[in-house]
Amino acid sequence: MFDRLPLPSQFDRIIVQGGIAATLFGVPVLVVLLALLIGNRIEAPELVFWLDATVVLLGALGAVFLRNLVHAALALIATLIGVAGIFLLLANEFLALVQILVYGGGVVILLIFGLMLTNAQDDPVVTDGSQKPFAFGIAAILGGLFVAAVIDANWGAQTLSVVPFRDFGARLFRDFLVPVILVAVLLDIALTGAFVNARRSSDEDAMVPTGQDAEARS
Amino acid sequence: MGMEQVWVLPAILAGVFVVVALFNRLLPHRGDFLAILGMLAVVALVALVLLDFQGAFVGGHFDPAGTNVYAFDWLTIGHDFFTIQFSTFVDSITVVMLVVVSFVALMVMLYSVGYMHGEPRYGWYFALLAFFTAAMLTLVISGNLIQLYLAWEGVGLASYLLIGFYWERRTAAEAAKKAFITTRIGDVGLLIGIILLWRATGSFDIQTIIAAARSGAIDETYLTVAMLLLFAGAAGKSAQFPLHVWLPDAMEGPTPVSALIHAATMVVAGVYLVARFSPVFAEVLVARDVVLYVGLLTAVMAATMALVENDIKRVLAYSTVSQLGFMFVALGAGAVTAAMFHLFTHAFFKSLLFLGSGSVIHATEHQTVEQLGGLRRKMPITTLTFVVGGLALAGVPIFAGFWSKDEILVAVNEGAALPVYAILALTAGLTALYTTRLILLTFFGEPKNQHAFEHAHESPPPMLGPLVILAALATVAGFVALDGVGRALGFAGGIGEILYLSSPHHFEFNAMLALASTVVAVGAIGIGWAYWSGTAERATRARLWAPELHQLLVRRYYMDDLYQALINRVILGLAGVVAWFDKRVVNETGVDGGAQLLGFFGYRLKFLQTGKIPNYALAMAVGLTAIVLVAFGRQ
Amino acid sequence: MIPIENFLLLAAVLFAIGFYGVLARRSAILILISVELMLAGAAINFVTFATYLDPVGFSGAVFALFVITVAAAEVGLALGIVLRIFRERQTVNVDEVDSLKW
Repeated sequence: MFDRLPLPSQFDRIIVQGGIAATLFGVPVLVVLLALLIGNRIEAPELVFWLDATVVLLGALGAVFLRNLVHAALALIATLIGVAGIFLLLANEFLALVQILVYGGGVVILLIFGLMLTNAQDDPVVTDGSQKPFAFGIAAILGGLFVAAVIDANWGAQTLSVVPFRDFGARLFRDFLVPVILVAVLLDIALTGAFVNARRSSDEDAMVPTGQDAEARS
Repeated sequence: MGMEQVWVLPAILAGVFVVVALFNRLLPHRGDFLAILGMLAVVALVALVLLDFQGAFVGGHFDPAGTNVYAFDWLTIGHDFFTIQFSTFVDSITVVMLVVVSFVALMVMLYSVGYMHGEPRYGWYFALLAFFTAAMLTLVISGNLIQLYLAWEGVGLASYLLIGFYWERRTAAEAAKKAFITTRIGDVGLLIGIILLWRATGSFDIQTIIAAARSGAIDETYLTVAMLLLFAGAAGKSAQFPLHVWLPDAMEGPTPVSALIHAATMVVAGVYLVARFSPVFAEVLVARDVVLYVGLLTAVMAATMALVENDIKRVLAYSTVSQLGFMFVALGAGAVTAAMFHLFTHAFFKSLLFLGSGSVIHATEHQTVEQLGGLRRKMPITTLTFVVGGLALAGVPIFAGFWSKDEILVAVNEGAALPVYAILALTAGLTALYTTRLILLTFFGEPKNQHAFEHAHESPPPMLGPLVILAALATVAGFVALDGVGRALGFAGGIGEILYLSSPHHFEFNAMLALASTVVAVGAIGIGWAYWSGTAERATRARLWAPELHQLLVRRYYMDDLYQALINRVILGLAGVVAWFDKRVVNETGVDGGAQLLGFFGYRLKFLQTGKIPNYALAMAVGLTAIVLVAFGRQ
Repeated sequence: MIPIENFLLLAAVLFAIGFYGVLARRSAILILISVELMLAGAAINFVTFATYLDPVGFSGAVFALFVITVAAAEVGLALGIVLRIFRERQTVNVDEVDSLKW
């Protein structure tokens, strides 16, 4: 299966290009941030935040702009790991852990399997749709609106509080028990649906890995 | 059972109708006995009403304005904007109508047992008779115009169904349609008139309307128009010119039906209506004059047409039209009582004549005088009763018609111009003439169709009984007008006093005029006898004597041709225009055009449905952004 | 302390980028990836509000957990559909999957 993956021929190149890009973007950002830190303009957590945000946004931009499917999927990994870091900055270790486990361990693998099982190896480069300009305009307007809304709002007194594991678990399984059960049922139905949908036919069970994988994850 | 409970009368017959119409196949004799028993009960109850009426009158507590019994509110719109009440109203006119309708209906039903024997729809026939009588009784006891109008259409429906009783025959179906549509033209006028009166007075109650009209609360021109529209309805129902054309054709129905509906009861509904509104007509003399002259014209026209008609029943139909014209002349001259009196006597002798002609048709299966003749030797009782009826119709003294016709002549002599009297007297002479012709050609002379003559036989007793009873009444019914007879019956001042309550007249007997009419009648009979009696070929002499005139009369003054031409040219032309409009404008432009427009846009717009998910997603995104924009902009 | 706006702005931009990707991409799998970005933005928002504004109940964090779970289910189901489409039509290009057009 791995010989069908377009990695070996491109892996070096993407690592090199990614490293160069990261260096080119990351070093100036790091320098600026360090300067601000030294000048006491920002605190250490903020520095970490900005670095993390850079990773997240660069990954996201890569995920939607890179033309190679596999590159886009790899960029997504960077974003998801970065989001886990954001969760850590938000003092929620549990969610950061879940984010890495579920996304890094499950969803991304699933997506790459999807890529492999479709024609990604034959034609890894895709062109975007013809409505790209409209999409850009709409996304810009919507994003601008959100940004404006965030800046416009008055958020009042802010306290950053740590969410302990114990309290989170109690809250989840005491107050939110019914939703948890519902989500469990939903997952069950989704997996069954995915299995039924992807199954080739009654005599071939080639698509079983999809179901097993998701099952193992939950 | 008194004047307050008259609603029972139609209720009984309505019940009979329902039972007989639904279950006649299950009942012995197809339920005819039910209809007759119901009718007997009604006659008995009418007698009680009559006694109550007489008692009230003698006892001095009779209300001249009539007995108005409010029944219930049928329909109310708004607070007091529009209310239809059901109510019964009984006064002297109603009582006369009740007696006539119930009695003649009973006679006809008894007669029908013999006449209609063996018919395939025998039960349905009796059901219809009961239905008709119920509607007719409702009509005469109605206290308000909406109820009256419902009953008015009810009798029209019964008439339609009974004229078309032999619907397998095309002519019968056509005649039924013609009768229905022609009377419907008048009915539209009646309905508009009712609405106009309601607009002016805010009420459908007849007595309220009459009171309002007499108080001068309604503009005179408005009232004239309303009254003329009411008269249009009356003219349609009573076959007055120019709506008289349906009645001769209506003879396609069974003969007893002709006797009941088209001689004695339904066709006098128009007379009844005008008589009921006579106080109002007295206020608007223009409308009254219209009634007078329309009646006069009808009387003359119908009498002349009767002179050349060869079908027995049609002669009688023209005679009916003519006699109804007499009644309208009387109403037009302001003599309600004379009209009602003539209505009363006419009902007896004309139904007698119709039943007699039915007896002839039953016996010979022919109904044109060209096939008949000499029947007096085969059918003595029928002949005798028919002659009595004919004498009454001709206005020979002591017979019923003499008294009532004379009353009309007296009233016209007083209440109208001299030429009117002269023409009417002449028409009375024509009446005697055609009656003589009919009797001579049917019952006397030589048989013109030997086979039919040999086939002929006297009718069975169920048919002869009503003939004899009606003949007796046709002889004596006129005497009730005499004061002495009236007093003997318990009415102080005679029956005339009662009938004249709503009008200042009294029964009068003008000896000079009576002598004059007697001379005219007897003279006309003499002329007719001299002209038509004897051999067969004399029957057709008139045709040779004045062919053009004869043709004019046979073609009924070309009225039917005129109407047919009107229908062919004008109405069908208009219908063509309307059809064109409907086809081109409404259908092709409006309906199809709208559909094509939608189809055109649909064809163009369908390409928006690309089937590509990203396009839909983009559209949703645009909508979402718009919503967010609006929500954000509103803050 | 990091101001709350920082996180919210990051979430907004992340969401907008994902939004763009959903509309602009043609490969079904890339659309799924973009949806993941949008979900991540939403999750960041939830957690931010939970941490900053709801220190006692932190319902937002619970909801972020649900978001992650539902996202996993969605990816599983959507990939099943994508594979089905690919098997039927030999493509995952959504522009070519248009049997529902006029």
